[in-house]
Amino acid sequence: MSSTDADYSGWQTALRRRFRRGREFADEAGPSALATVLLGTGSLLAAFVGFLLVSSLTVVPVAVFVVTAAYGYGRHQELTVRALTLATTASTILILTLITVFIFVEAWPTVEYASVEVFGVSVPGLRLFVQTNWDAVSPPIRYSMVPMIHGTVMVTVVATLVAGPLGVAAALFLSEIAPPLVREVVKPGVEILAGIPSIVYGFVGFTVLSPWASDQFELLGQGTYLFVGVVVGLMALPTVVSVAEDALNSVPESMKSGSLALGTTDWQTMTSITLPAAFSGVSAAVLLGVGRAIGETMAATVMLKGVPKLTKPLYNAFYGQETLTSLIARNYGEADGLQMSALFVAGVILFITVLLISVGSQYVEARMRSKLGGEA
Amino acid sequence: MSETTQSTTERSTDQPLQTTNGETAEEARSEWVDYQFDGQAKLAVESLDVHYGDDHALKDVSIEIPEESVTALIGPSGCGKSTFLRSLNRMNDRIESARIDGSVALEGEEIYQDGVDLVELRKRVGMVFQAPNPFPKSIRDNVAYGPRKHGDIETGALAKLLGRSDEEQERELVEQSLRQAALWDEVVDRLDDNALGLSGGQQQRLCIARALATDPEVLLMDEPASALDPIATSKIEELIHDLAEEYTVVIVTHNMQQAARISDQTAVFLTGGELVEYDDTDEIFEDPESQRVEDYVSGKFG
Amino acid sequence: MAGATRSALVDEDTTHTDAVAAVAAGLATLLFAVGVVALFDVVSLTDPIAGVPVVTLVGGLLVLLGGAVVSFGVGSRLGFVATDPRPTAGLIAATAFGLIWFVVGGLVASQTFGLGTVGWTAAALVTGGGAFLLTALPREDVGSTLPAGAVTLLAGLVFLGGVIGPSWAWNLGWAQPASFTAGFVVPTLTLFCALLSGWASAKAYGGFGASGRHAGAYLLVYLNALAIVGVLFALVAFTVVEGLPGLLREFTVGLGAGPESTIALFGSELTFTWPFDWPFVMNGVGLLNDVNGVLPAIVGTIWLVVGAVLFAVPLGVGAAVFLTEYAERGRFTQAVEVATNGLWSTPSIVFGLFGYAFLIPRFGGGKSLLSGMLTLGFMLLPLVVITSREAMLAVPDQYRDASVALGVTKWQTIRSVVLPAALPGVVTGVILGVGRIAGETAPILLTMAGGVFVPGSQTADVVGGFEFTASPPFVANPELLQATSALPYQLYALITAGVGASGNVGNPDQFKWATALVLLVVVLSFYAVGIVTRYYFRSKLHE
Repeated sequence: MSSTDADYSGWQTALRRRFRRGREFADEAGPSALATVLLGTGSLLAAFVGFLLVSSLTVVPVAVFVVTAAYGYGRHQELTVRALTLATTASTILILTLITVFIFVEAWPTVEYASVEVFGVSVPGLRLFVQTNWDAVSPPIRYSMVPMIHGTVMVTVVATLVAGPLGVAAALFLSEIAPPLVREVVKPGVEILAGIPSIVYGFVGFTVLSPWASDQFELLGQGTYLFVGVVVGLMALPTVVSVAEDALNSVPESMKSGSLALGTTDWQTMTSITLPAAFSGVSAAVLLGVGRAIGETMAATVMLKGVPKLTKPLYNAFYGQETLTSLIARNYGEADGLQMSALFVAGVILFITVLLISVGSQYVEARMRSKLGGEA
Repeated sequence: MSETTQSTTERSTDQPLQTTNGETAEEARSEWVDYQFDGQAKLAVESLDVHYGDDHALKDVSIEIPEESVTALIGPSGCGKSTFLRSLNRMNDRIESARIDGSVALEGEEIYQDGVDLVELRKRVGMVFQAPNPFPKSIRDNVAYGPRKHGDIETGALAKLLGRSDEEQERELVEQSLRQAALWDEVVDRLDDNALGLSGGQQQRLCIARALATDPEVLLMDEPASALDPIATSKIEELIHDLAEEYTVVIVTHNMQQAARISDQTAVFLTGGELVEYDDTDEIFEDPESQRVEDYVSGKFG
Repeated sequence: MAGATRSALVDEDTTHTDAVAAVAAGLATLLFAVGVVALFDVVSLTDPIAGVPVVTLVGGLLVLLGGAVVSFGVGSRLGFVATDPRPTAGLIAATAFGLIWFVVGGLVASQTFGLGTVGWTAAALVTGGGAFLLTALPREDVGSTLPAGAVTLLAGLVFLGGVIGPSWAWNLGWAQPASFTAGFVVPTLTLFCALLSGWASAKAYGGFGASGRHAGAYLLVYLNALAIVGVLFALVAFTVVEGLPGLLREFTVGLGAGPESTIALFGSELTFTWPFDWPFVMNGVGLLNDVNGVLPAIVGTIWLVVGAVLFAVPLGVGAAVFLTEYAERGRFTQAVEVATNGLWSTPSIVFGLFGYAFLIPRFGGGKSLLSGMLTLGFMLLPLVVITSREAMLAVPDQYRDASVALGVTKWQTIRSVVLPAALPGVVTGVILGVGRIAGETAPILLTMAGGVFVPGSQTADVVGGFEFTASPPFVANPELLQATSALPYQLYALITAGVGASGNVGNPDQFKWATALVLLVVVLSFYAVGIVTRYYFRSKLHE
């Protein structure tokens, strides 16, 4: 309770300070500058609202804004630049907000449709997660996210098993073991490979790996979570390698020398000193790779069967049905109404999961920075 | 890691250098090359040259270091004394641009030859760095790190499981090493705390304890007291003095009083990476042969 | 430790030991190579080499390798070879071997002897526990070689004895059927045993102890690095080899060989003839074309990139300027940081969904080039912010202070000092980001799309498309508001169009691979340019 009070009063003082600063600013800047900034802000807001409302008159405030900005740059340069850069910063946050709002709003109809009564209370969206049947054609029309979540988990687990250990080992190689010449060649090579478009991976997987797997394991049809996972893991590998390498490089040389000077082998120094010291950075790298794997779309879309069902048995990774991402990519064309909204539900799940992972890895990295900073 | 190992002597040809009072470096050197000491030479360095890229950091250094004594290396910043120190346990190999020519023998065995086991060398020639660099582990783990990694002490989960744990032995070793480093009384109650929580002077003494725990024959110290307050410095000086009974200590310092207080013999490096004079510490500070050394130790330059 | 014996710096008496261990390591390498080749059906398992079937040959080699590893360990224990082992191989090795032998025991009991669940679990526990103890209890030389060598020996005997022959298959009996066949199991098992024994012999080569572990670990780490580079290189090489024939079809060089182009500038028209004819990148798809190509998709990709850069770079750089130069560090900058990082890791398909819901209704209700540009711009924005910020933070404060001390305003300082110094970093970041969005399929899938085989007439002409209208918004560009194609989308459409839809492109497979190659070249050249720029600026900085 007391902490909230403190927060509250802190807020108040901050607010008062803002006000005071605002008044000082208004006194200092003069009416002309103030008018320019106000007009610019107003027209920009109007343009945004106009765009949101799909008005063809949006062009008017846009024109006003351009003229104001040009005038302001000529007359009150410092202030205008400050206001303009603030506007660009705000737009970054605005885009994230808009994404959140729009996909949630679009997803809502299906969430509402899938409400289930539990003890007399209607829980929206519960049916999406408690039953496993996806049928968008014949009544009763049922949407379920369970098969796709299962698919995404399968692919992500396999991809992490591929990209995690191999990526960390490769990062160790690049940062600690490789001779300088090899590092000079391999490092940019790995970075370039991070750029291979996922659809190219998917194409090779579709034409080479899928038929091969189907043949080797005597499967019915093509498309396996196992090999989609392997391909996605390969795709995430360069990301994991380069981020983990950076983390390993940030371990102070004095610490490594300290260990080597005691007569330990390079490998002992790596496993006992370097890796533990860089642990949070390395795990952030793996987390980043996991995020990449969850959001990967195209390879999964072209390699999977595209039938939203659970595999039988559940751990049967030799069959690949559908993931959250491939569901969207495959069905956006013929979907409308509730089904389209169901695709947005898949988008929301992806968005939230990856956002959580991103925030988590940032937290881990911040902790690492403060820890290593304290040592140096 | 591949090293350029060249044990043949390769004298640099840019001699003789004119010194301040007109005598050549060659003449100055003739005074101390014959420096005789009682007992065995632990380390024998001959014609050591170190280059960092195009930078000639150490020029044709020859010196013999007696065992169970303290040898101080003094000189102004950038004179190559740290480079020299790092050549004695091949830590310069970590620097990619470094090229080392010449010979260093540990008890008569060349350390710059093919097939030298660097791990074995560094077990025998320990090192304490200028800035304290404890590992981000507990105090106990820091001290026991070397012996554990060398396999002298087994304390893993498996060793416990099999009832072969050397915990008792480790406890004794940790106590002994910390006592030697005059740190035991200060940390006896918090051996399991993170070493990074110690003060700078304590950290440095921990690093010394860590080096002693591996029982080296030679201990190289690179300005171990440079970042410390006077009290911590005097503790470390006492410690170095005591260590000379068992170990061969080579210490780099830019503090001449310190060198005079703790060392048995002193080598003076001057700018450009050359060794100008090497003699008993008393001789160096009271009656140096070289005018440049006299100017340096009396504070006229450097 | 006090009292420990001093060993000489150079270990001289190891040549024989090294030779034995090196032979084992060589054998392991050979088997590893055989395994890789066999896995991808380059060598058939039934084909005989010198009259012996490959399976039998591999089995024999495995027995040899396993025998070598085991005898080395035993030899070391009995003191025939000089090594420096620890009292135990360690908990990690013991757990790993325990698990391996748990699986081996379980499989043999259930598959070969047909025991039930209780039976095979008991057998697996016995073998697994046995292997754990065998690794943990004896000295390291025995503990790390015996279990590894035994697995290899067993695998070799199974192949030799024909228990797993070329036609062997094990149906897992799942509702969705799947089987392990010899074609997969034999190479995989060979690879696994080669790795295991290779590790054990590398340890032996290092004389066990700390340096033995070092050697064993380095073998695996080097192999891993080699494999990653190999796989990724193979991927690129494969695409190039498959794509080149289609890409270079009827490619001719010579004066006047190519089509005519007209450039209209300031009222004067300049007509010239290309000095080469490259139909795949100069044509669309048309009935009358000899060779059909992907020109509309290339042009579409270029316009997408241009549009995204025009949108994201001013916004991103502006935000970075505000965050580094104007804003005080606090909650607000932190929130922006979290938001940009979150935006950067948001899956591309979510951007697609957003574009579909937000942009399409606002640009005439249909998929359009403009929606695609903006969607990719949203994706590019966070990267521009992040890299520009990093570049600006790297500009030393002295520069700013020096400029401000001269009485220059803040914005002039930023414009004349900070931005030029940060430019290399910003440019590099933008190029790398462009490489990434140029290859993205998912966002444009929902916002721009296009066709499978796009006729040349659909090549977007954005510059020529601008026109003035009488009603608001007064300026219109129908080219921006209609769907066109882009390389990644076209490749996706070609893949999903199936076998039947061949259009009139003759050899559809060749067409697909050539499209993939063009995409790869376009994207990777962005990356290559970005990375080279960075190395260039970095090396200039260090001079």
